[in-house]
Amino acid sequence: KCPDPKPKITSANNFVVRCARRAFGYQCKSMNRKFIHSRFCPVQTIRSSSSSDGDFFTCAKFLPGDQSLVVGDYNGDIRLFNLHSGNEEFMFQAHDNYIVHIEPNRTGEFLLTSSTWGRPLSALWAIKGSEMKFALDDEEYVEYSKVSQDRILATKLEVATIYDVATGQSVMRLVPTISNQYTKNKATFSPFDDLVLSDGVLFDVASGKQIHKLDKLNQTQSGVFHPNGLEIVSNTEVWDIRTFHLLKTVPVLNQCSAIFSPVNSAIYAISMEQELDDGDSTFDSSFKTVDAIDYSSIATIEVKKNIYDLAVNRFDTQIAIVENQGVYQSVQESVVRIYDVGRKRDDEDEQDEEEDDDDDDLD
Amino acid sequence: MVYHYVVTAHKPTAVTACVTGNFTSPSDLNLIVGKNTRLEIYLVTPEGLRPVKEVGLYGKIAVMKLFRPQHEKKDLLFIVTMRYNAMILECINDSENLDIITKAHGNVADKIGKPSETGILAVIDPKARVIGLRLYDGLFKIIPLEKDNSELKASNIRIDELQVHDVEFLHGCANPTLILIHQDVNGRHVKTHEISLREKEFVKVPWRQDNVETEASIIIPVPSPLGGAIIIGQESILYHDGITSVVVAPAVIKQSTIVCYAKVDPGGLRYLLGDMAGHLFMLFMEVENRGEGNDVVKDLKVELLGEIATPECITYLDNGVLFIGSRMGDSQLVKLTTKPNESGSYVTVMESFTNLAPILDMCVVDLERQGQGQLVTCSGAFKEGSLRIIRNGIGIQEHASIDLPGIKGMWALQVASDGRFDNTLVLAFVGQTRVLSLNGEEVEETDISGFASDQQTFFCGNVIHEQIVQVTPISARLVSAQNKTLLAEWKPPSDKNIGVVACNTSQIIVSTGSILYYIEIHQNELIMKGTTTLDVEVACLDISPLGEGVTTSEYIAVGLWTDITARILRIPDLSEATKEYLGGEIIPRSVLMTCFEGHNYLLCALGDGSMFYFVFHKDSGTLSDKKRVTLGTQPTVLRTFRSLSTTNVFACSDRPTVIYSSNHKLVFSNVNMKEVNHMCSLNAEAYPDSLALATDCSVTIGTIDEIQKLHIRTVPLQESPRRIAYQEESQTFGVLTARIDIQDSTGLNPARPSASTMAQSVTVSSSVGSLSMSKSSSSTLLGGNIIPDYGQEVEVHNLLIIDQHTFEVLHAHQLMQQEYAMSLISTNQLGTDMNEYYVVGTAIVNPEESEPKQGRILIFHWNDNKLTQVSEKEIKGACFSLAEFNGKLLASINSTVRLFEWTVEKELRLECSHFNNILTLYLKTKGDFILLGDLMRSMTLLQYKTMEGSFEEIARDFNPNWMTAVEILDDDIFLGAENSFNIFVCQKDSAATTDEERSQMHEVGQFHVGDMINVFRHGSLVMQNLGETSTPTTGCVLFGTVGGAIGLVTQITIDFYDFLLELQNKLSTVIKSVGKIEHSHWRAFNTDIKTEASEGFIDGDLIESFLDLSQDKMKEVADGLQMTGEGGMKQECTVDDLVKMVEDLTRIH
Repeated sequence: KCPDPKPKITSANNFVVRCARRAFGYQCKSMNRKFIHSRFCPVQTIRSSSSSDGDFFTCAKFLPGDQSLVVGDYNGDIRLFNLHSGNEEFMFQAHDNYIVHIEPNRTGEFLLTSSTWGRPLSALWAIKGSEMKFALDDEEYVEYSKVSQDRILATKLEVATIYDVATGQSVMRLVPTISNQYTKNKATFSPFDDLVLSDGVLFDVASGKQIHKLDKLNQTQSGVFHPNGLEIVSNTEVWDIRTFHLLKTVPVLNQCSAIFSPVNSAIYAISMEQELDDGDSTFDSSFKTVDAIDYSSIATIEVKKNIYDLAVNRFDTQIAIVENQGVYQSVQESVVRIYDVGRKRDDEDEQDEEEDDDDDDLD
Repeated sequence: MVYHYVVTAHKPTAVTACVTGNFTSPSDLNLIVGKNTRLEIYLVTPEGLRPVKEVGLYGKIAVMKLFRPQHEKKDLLFIVTMRYNAMILECINDSENLDIITKAHGNVADKIGKPSETGILAVIDPKARVIGLRLYDGLFKIIPLEKDNSELKASNIRIDELQVHDVEFLHGCANPTLILIHQDVNGRHVKTHEISLREKEFVKVPWRQDNVETEASIIIPVPSPLGGAIIIGQESILYHDGITSVVVAPAVIKQSTIVCYAKVDPGGLRYLLGDMAGHLFMLFMEVENRGEGNDVVKDLKVELLGEIATPECITYLDNGVLFIGSRMGDSQLVKLTTKPNESGSYVTVMESFTNLAPILDMCVVDLERQGQGQLVTCSGAFKEGSLRIIRNGIGIQEHASIDLPGIKGMWALQVASDGRFDNTLVLAFVGQTRVLSLNGEEVEETDISGFASDQQTFFCGNVIHEQIVQVTPISARLVSAQNKTLLAEWKPPSDKNIGVVACNTSQIIVSTGSILYYIEIHQNELIMKGTTTLDVEVACLDISPLGEGVTTSEYIAVGLWTDITARILRIPDLSEATKEYLGGEIIPRSVLMTCFEGHNYLLCALGDGSMFYFVFHKDSGTLSDKKRVTLGTQPTVLRTFRSLSTTNVFACSDRPTVIYSSNHKLVFSNVNMKEVNHMCSLNAEAYPDSLALATDCSVTIGTIDEIQKLHIRTVPLQESPRRIAYQEESQTFGVLTARIDIQDSTGLNPARPSASTMAQSVTVSSSVGSLSMSKSSSSTLLGGNIIPDYGQEVEVHNLLIIDQHTFEVLHAHQLMQQEYAMSLISTNQLGTDMNEYYVVGTAIVNPEESEPKQGRILIFHWNDNKLTQVSEKEIKGACFSLAEFNGKLLASINSTVRLFEWTVEKELRLECSHFNNILTLYLKTKGDFILLGDLMRSMTLLQYKTMEGSFEEIARDFNPNWMTAVEILDDDIFLGAENSFNIFVCQKDSAATTDEERSQMHEVGQFHVGDMINVFRHGSLVMQNLGETSTPTTGCVLFGTVGGAIGLVTQITIDFYDFLLELQNKLSTVIKSVGKIEHSHWRAFNTDIKTEASEGFIDGDLIESFLDLSQDKMKEVADGLQMTGEGGMKQECTVDDLVKMVEDLTRIH
């Protein structure tokens, strides 16, 4: 019989053991990253100050500077909240309807928004003064290019269009000859802006030519680039960009949006909205964390509310979750909750416990 | 802004790589040792290893290989650093200078790529055609080795095997052929790839072997003609050459994991294997000849040779001698013997190389109260665990040694010489005197006819008029220095023997009991000029003239027996000028008048190793400014000697000390010798400017170091030390250790004898302590409820009490099963309780849980050679850190910080808590402030509000830094070390206008140290100079690293920073780095996610390398450099100014 693998010196499950070994020089960064991403502690709850019936939050992002959070809602309003106080700082109406996506630029001056209905569907805003820079009337989803943010990539069904940020003019249209016809295609730039993935097809940005079509293994999403620039995560499949070989299948990512933490190599996965037969849709009440290096599953965290969106701050020290209670058509309570990454939830409980069992009532 | 100077006081000592080959010349056999960022090049000689060169690199060595390019006669060195700088180095040896030339270099990092979990692998084709690198998963890099290409450019080849565990080049292949062990979902496999250098790709797979042992981890390529490779696994060893394969599963290798190997013979039939437990094995290949030179491997045999230091790397030198490089303990030079010794081992250790790594904890203590700190470190791990006592001192370079026991005195003479060199050594023994003549390096016994050789000499020396004086118990004899005949003799008037004597070149003072006789030396005559009778007997005398060029003394100094006084008497009437009572009952044994830097002193050493010193006023003959230091524990003899044209005093005792003056302050510096009974200056032709030092059994001739150095004493524990604390009251150290016990048929038994098993007494924490009665459901996992599997290794943690003088383990207190000792302090005063306690924080470790849910805080009292547990407090997690805080006890427990009061009932009561961390690993306190170091969330400052009895979070660093140590530099400035080997300084801004700004710490300094820091401690290794220095520094924090380095961080002013920064920039262009790595690249703050230029820190290692430069290079650096001179005026900086300044900087460590 072959021997059982010996436990690796760097991979003890208990932190205390790893801590002792780290001092000897055995690095255990990977296990510590997993440890961090298995624990989340709510620290702040953000509510709308002018909550009207049927109004609820739909998406959120941290603004650069770590001071505020930008939130979109069902009515098409954009609100800015102070992260420390939870107070709403200002708001403006960006769209007529449900905001599905917002993306601030890296200086925090501009904001891309997309909504589900009405005109414009997407737009670029100057946050100061809530001034619309230009509208992208029919584009269903928009995002910045990744390196210099001088371009915008917009998606309408299987068609991806690159716009120039300065002029708002269309620069390039990327239309696949054969596409995968995903129901929720979102075109995306690679981390170095040399490639675009749209509807399962990889384009070379310089030439505008199609490079490769990935096999269609799900109905919904086209996929996103791993920030390491080597892989594409498309639903449960991980593709090697260099060989187009299937590297891995990650079942926990099924029907999930994968959000990469900017540091610490973790993936936060939230289930996409599931449409039901009666036209209503459901959201999952838990999110998952996955190691972005080896794609091993780290944890599933139950928040007991429907998760509409999740955002990570630039240091991966806090996440914001849009949590709504009640079914889609009649949301009863809508909050954005801020969680500290790595902190255990029951710290405060422990304090109470400590007080009542103080010294000698150990039974 | 704040500015700091960071410098290495003790270079890293952990050996991470070693290679053997012909590097310095085709005929030299060299050993090259890699220690973190340093290369040490040795010459292998029949006498042992001779160091020839030391090279610092701007990078941490990841892989180091020697290779021989085709048609070359010597080897080149290939190195890749952890940050992907690759280089090929050549040694140019022009008989005078040995230069390391960077033949080729380049950065082989990719902008994108997944760094492999198994680290950096680098291999060189046996025919030196190509270098192979595995840095990233899914990619293999090759660097074709073309002649005269100074740029190392790597091309990528895609490789389907994603998880590669080891890779090598096979021997005897027409094209370079790789062999690798890789892992996929089905297990581990061996595969080969032939590389086409022209196409730069893999062209075919000559052979493969799927499903080898699941733990196969090392490939040993076998040289031609056999070829093929050996695959080492956890339990089995496989030989495979593509056609035949042989597998063996020797039982001896199962116990541990083989981590390194060395090839013994060029034919590759024998290999040495080292495992993690420190076993050394020999692997033999049994070969069968099938005719026509067709040898086939028939069998593999493994034999245990013996025990070595826990190896990191092994290299075979020659003649059965090998070098064992160790990261966890002292590296060794060992010899293999053909016959086993009495313990059955074939291994004999020839030499050990001190290694402090890894430094897990340390404390700064001043045990002798000399005002000079010593460092006691917890060093090494597992069987290599030890305490190291590190002190700054002066080194003696030994040049010759003569075995001669029983020496009572020693003097150097010039006999019948031209007066330039000493040529004779006079040695006194009980009842006789022997004379040695020094003729070149030859030493032979001779005699001087005018001497009384059947008497013990009390004093002997050259005096005026080319004469020599010898004083024995019977008489003082005056002898001609030229023809050695007796010229005159003086005997005391009474029949009493001479007891004590002192002499200079023209004056003698002798005593018989309490009577003193003063004698002057004239040509052919000794004339008694004075006598007096004192009230008590004389213990010691001195008549040293004071001042430059002065040959006669106006005073004599006397130390007396029963009244314990030191007196100054005037010459010639021997009237008393001063009488100073020393106090106590210890008799003065040596007295000396001396002049340091123009100031006169009287030194008076006592029989217990302590010494008084006074300022001596020559005009009045009076003493003032009495001070006392402890030099040793035995009677001390004081002797002056001159070194580098300054006067120094050597204090001979069990802790020999050199006394000198720096900035008009006396400095006491230890000498790296165990014991010196007598010494004299010796300036012989073969031994110029030397010292002769007599110990109990020998005479050593050596020279004294110019610079102070650290010297190190080792106290082996043979188990892992984790924390250390010093307790003044009980004169003990508390040390937390972990040892390995193994479950066998009789239960858990220690794997080997070690400090905790060999302690004078042992106590054990009851495993049915209150914890197992706790209501927590996890309690079933605690205490004695788990019986480990047969053969399983279990860590057993102990608190050791260790004597501060002898370092004997007085007591061991064993904690419960699965209880880890995490933190330790010694408290001064908890509450109103005046006892000093050892406080131990623990964690109960359940391997199933990601963090502990339970632990204990234990309070012990060591008194009267007994350890008493005073109190026990259960806690809900691991107590990572402890601190005494305003008479209370502060503990960091998992994510929290808790403050406990010490009640009159001697119990801990929780007062308040702070929750806002992931895991609070480190705590430091100052006044009401508490600095926390978190696992990921950098540093946080808390303030304790006395009135409210609560904590307030004052400021926090919001950057995600994974901390390994923290320290408070002052009220606003905080120092942190993180796990990518960087340090940084944060400043709190109390003057900021908004709360948000105030709550944020600003990172104002960052620097890449290149080694992981485990501990910061305030303190210094040198005597704190109060005098003026050209280099103003404030405060001093020492740090200890995983690589065994000790460094320090000190604060400097902005003006000095600006000046040093300019100097640093000039040095970084003038000093060409080996491997051509930019200094700014090396010191940039670098983590997995960002790289930012270093700021706020001066690299002291680079600054100090200024002193190693040649004069013209120094000139080049100094040119154009402006310094602030007298009155704040800018002025040109000269080479001399710079040398003085940098020398002053070197004196802070």
